[in-house]
This record gives sequence, structure tokens and C-alpha cells, in this order.
Amino acid sequence: MLVFNQLETYLYLALILFAIGLYGVLARRNLIAVLISVELILNAAMINFMAFNRFVAPHPAVGQVIALFIMAVAAAEAAIGLSIIIAVYRKLKAINVEQATELRG
Amino acid sequence: MTMLLFGPELYFLLVALVLFFFSLRRTPKVKADHTVATVLALVGFLVAVACIGQKGELFFKAYRVDLFSQIFKAALALGLFLVFMISRNLAGIEERLHAEFYLFLTTCTLGMMMLVSSVELLTIYVSLELSSYSLYILVPMRRGDDIDVEAGIKYLFIGAVSSGFMLFGLSYIFGATHSTYLTDIIPKMPELLASPIGLVGVLLSLAGFFFKLSVFPFHFWAPDVYQGGANQVVTFIATASKAAAVALVLRIAALGAGAGYDFAQALVILSIISMTLGNLVAIIQKDFKRMLAYSSIAHAGYVLIGILAFNEAGYSSAVYYALAYLIMNFTVFMVLNEVARDGRDLKIAELAGLYHRSPLLSMSLILGIFALAGVPPSIGFTGKLLLFTSAMNQGYFLLVLIGAVNGTISLYYYLRVIYAAYFIKGEGLPPIQLSWPTKMLNYALCATILFFGVAPDSIIELARAAVRTVL
Repeated sequence: MLVFNQLETYLYLALILFAIGLYGVLARRNLIAVLISVELILNAAMINFMAFNRFVAPHPAVGQVIALFIMAVAAAEAAIGLSIIIAVYRKLKAINVEQATELRG
Repeated sequence: MTMLLFGPELYFLLVALVLFFFSLRRTPKVKADHTVATVLALVGFLVAVACIGQKGELFFKAYRVDLFSQIFKAALALGLFLVFMISRNLAGIEERLHAEFYLFLTTCTLGMMMLVSSVELLTIYVSLELSSYSLYILVPMRRGDDIDVEAGIKYLFIGAVSSGFMLFGLSYIFGATHSTYLTDIIPKMPELLASPIGLVGVLLSLAGFFFKLSVFPFHFWAPDVYQGGANQVVTFIATASKAAAVALVLRIAALGAGAGYDFAQALVILSIISMTLGNLVAIIQKDFKRMLAYSSIAHAGYVLIGILAFNEAGYSSAVYYALAYLIMNFTVFMVLNEVARDGRDLKIAELAGLYHRSPLLSMSLILGIFALAGVPPSIGFTGKLLLFTSAMNQGYFLLVLIGAVNGTISLYYYLRVIYAAYFIKGEGLPPIQLSWPTKMLNYALCATILFFGVAPDSIIELARAAVRTVL
């Protein structure tokens, strides 16, 4: 059986993508990079949905519909995220996580 | 008749549309907008109450209207109305943004109303995001210093990551059960939770809801957002948003009801850490809102006690506690809003002399704080009693013991607020004048806290009838 026609391949791919995204969120200091990493996590979930849809789901449309919805929601999230990042830049003149450390305790 | 089933949501959608047109005005009409928004929210609450008896399913059974959802919808509409009531003086937000403030609070309420009715994974996800995104925008709206954008960015990223976790978990649930409907998923749960993929899926998907409820380990946003957001926005996050989160966690945790020991143990640990961490860190806080944030983390731990009993008594006590928490936390926040008229962050020490400045406000404060601390005969005491009893009957003795110890610890920092308001003299501070709607609100809240604490039967019966439709 071909490796790209197996469920496991896609599950591992999604898991790797999820791990990369999580690492990016924790390690990157640039807010835009963090936003991209969050999108990677969402994409990992999307690949999972598509893979399960292709290989195991009884109804072939469900996973695809979910993937479309996630795309729309992720676009809205990127819009809000970028607008807040712009607000951060206007006030702090930087888009670095380390600049945002006033709230503590 | 299907229109009626969707009544409250449709109504709030229309309100959002009206408020959207308000936000397009070049020159803001602050007072008029406030009056219209408040009246519309009051009508919305009446609509939600009128629809409380509705039953039915919509949108290919992805959306269930039952007593459970309708009670929470009424509570959410009430929360929105109360927050609008105290927004007459919105000093924390620029005037040109006031209409947007009302708009996004309304869309957030709409999202949460859809959330409590959703019984399908995608519907849950989309309505959760609708309510979260509105709040992400509201938090950085505050006027003035830089802490608002910092709080906004922290809220956004912690929220986005936890909803990413949730979505990843939901994809595993979908893969393991081949369905997105909770009614199909629940029967398959026991075998699913025995497999690693199922347990990971359920725990990850709980992440999104724990974020809303600010349970450990998704609590980091709470103190910063509470301190950085405008007072009215924080009031909404601390009251209505919490109630919606409890409703959803109840629906989702019913997934794990048949799972038995491992799942319950995971919740026990989260509950204990949330309570202890919230209460211990709250002791050292000087900022009033920050202290309330840590207290909300602790309260999330208390609510989990009711959820993990996995039976009717536990669930109904969690519902009761969620409703009680909405009222008592709102009471405290209302006092905070009135004392900090200029929209600043209030230090606990700044409550000094409140007893002389406004006896009515200090009475509301003492009742609200005593309810949060769980002093009889307030609703908070009855709620805690119900929660602890339900867990005790399930044999969680250690959990109840830790909960009781935590209740005692929390008394310390709650009483510090009372001490500041009653026993420290505020020299030279002017008395606080209250408008008549605010006075009425004060009396109504005090009466509610005392009345439903002494005679909780009607609410408990309602909560029992509601959770029967969930379990």
C-alpha cells in the first residue's frame, strides 16, 4: 500500500504541523510569527479532519465542510490578530513579545 | 414556529444590526445610544424569558433548544442588560467607539447564546469563536495607557492557541467516532476514552472551554485581561462569559460521564490546582480587578467540583452556582464601576471610606463579597453547599476538604476589601451620588442575593429540570 494512501501518514503530518505550531507559539518573539504559528495549529486540525474524512468517515462531505469553515474562521482570526498587532505597534513602536511586559503579578 | 425557537438569537442579531448602524455615525450620540442599547437589551431579556419554555431542534439537529439552553440564554441576556445598565458613564472608552462597544457586546452575547444551544462540534466551534472574537476586540478598546493593547494581545494569543488545541482535539473525536453530533458521540465515549486517541481528543477539546472558564492551565490571561480591559468589558467577561462557559463545559463533560475514573481524576486535579492557585495568589494582589481575576480562577475550580460529580445533583448545583456567580460577581463589579467613575483601575485601598461616601454601595459590596466568600445566608453560600454536598455524595472527600480549606483562605482577601470599605477612613473624599436607576439596581441585586440564598428551592428545581435534558 502506498504511503500517501494511508490514514497514518496524514495523522503524523498533522501532528508534526501541530508540534511546529506549538513550538512557534512558545519560542518565537515576533507577534506576526506567533500569529502564523497559531494558523499552523489550525491547519494541523484541518488536515486531521480531511484525513479522517477521506479514510474513515461514512459521509464524505462532513470533513470538507468543516475545513471550509475553519478557513473562514481562521481568516477572521488573522484579521483581528493583525489589527491588534497594528494597535500594539502604534502604542509600543515594536511588535515584539518582550515589549509587552507591563502587566505582572 | 421554528422562528420562535430561534427567537432570542434572531432578536439579538437584529439588535446587533441596529447597533452596527449606530456605529457608522460620524458624530457619536453617546447618551442616546446608551438609552437605546439598554432598552433593546431589556427587551432582549424579556424575549429570552418568554422563550424559556421552548423545546425543539433546528438546523439538521445541530442546534438543540431545551430548558437548559433557554435558562442560560435568559441569564446571558440579563448579563448583557446589566452591563449596559452600568455603561452610562463609559469613561474608559473613547466616545466615538461607544457604539462599537455595544455592538460587540451584543454579538458576543449572540455567540454565547448559540454556544449554549449547540450540540454539534462545528456549531460549537463557530459560535465559540464568534463570542471570543468579539471579546478580543473589546479588550484593547480601552482609552489611555499601553496596558490595554498588551492585555488584548495576550488575550488573543492565549485564546487562539487554546481554540487551536480544542479544534485539534475535536478532529480526533471526529476521527474516532466518525460523527460530529454529540448525540452520536456520547454513546461511543466509554470505549473511546479507553483508547489514547479518545482521551487526548477529549482533554484537548476541553482546553477551549477551560480557557473561557479560566481553569488552570488556561488561566494566565485572566489577571492581565481583568486589569487591562475597560471596567465594563471586564464586568461582562467576568459574569456572562463565565456562565456560558459553565453551560458548555457541562454539555461537553457529559461526554466523559461514562468514562469513569481517569477522566474524573483529571478534572479533580485541575479543580484542586485552580482553587488553590487562585486563592493563594489573590491574597497578595493590590489591584481590585486583579484580585477578582484570581478569585474567578478559584471559582472556576469550585464549579468543576459540581461538574465532576457527573450526576443530576452535581450538574444542577453547577448551574445554580453559575447563575449565582453571575449575580454576585456583577454586584461587586457594579460597585467597582461606580467608585472608579473615571474608568481607572481601582486599588483595594481606594475603597477606603466607602461606607461614608455611599452607604448603599457599601451594602452592595459587603453582600457581593460575602456571597463570593460563601458566607450564609447569601446565594454564594447555598451554591457552595450544594456543590460540596454533591461531591461528598460521590465520595470525593479529599476534594471537598481542600475546597473547604480554600474557602477559608479566600475569606482573608475578601475581608480585606470589606475592611478597606468600612474601617479605613477616606479623608476628604466626596460622597458618591447615585442616579435612581443605579439605586434600583443596587436594591434589586441585594434582594436577589439574600432572597435566593434563603429560599433557593425554585432555582434548584429549575436547574434540576434543566440538567435532566442534558444528562
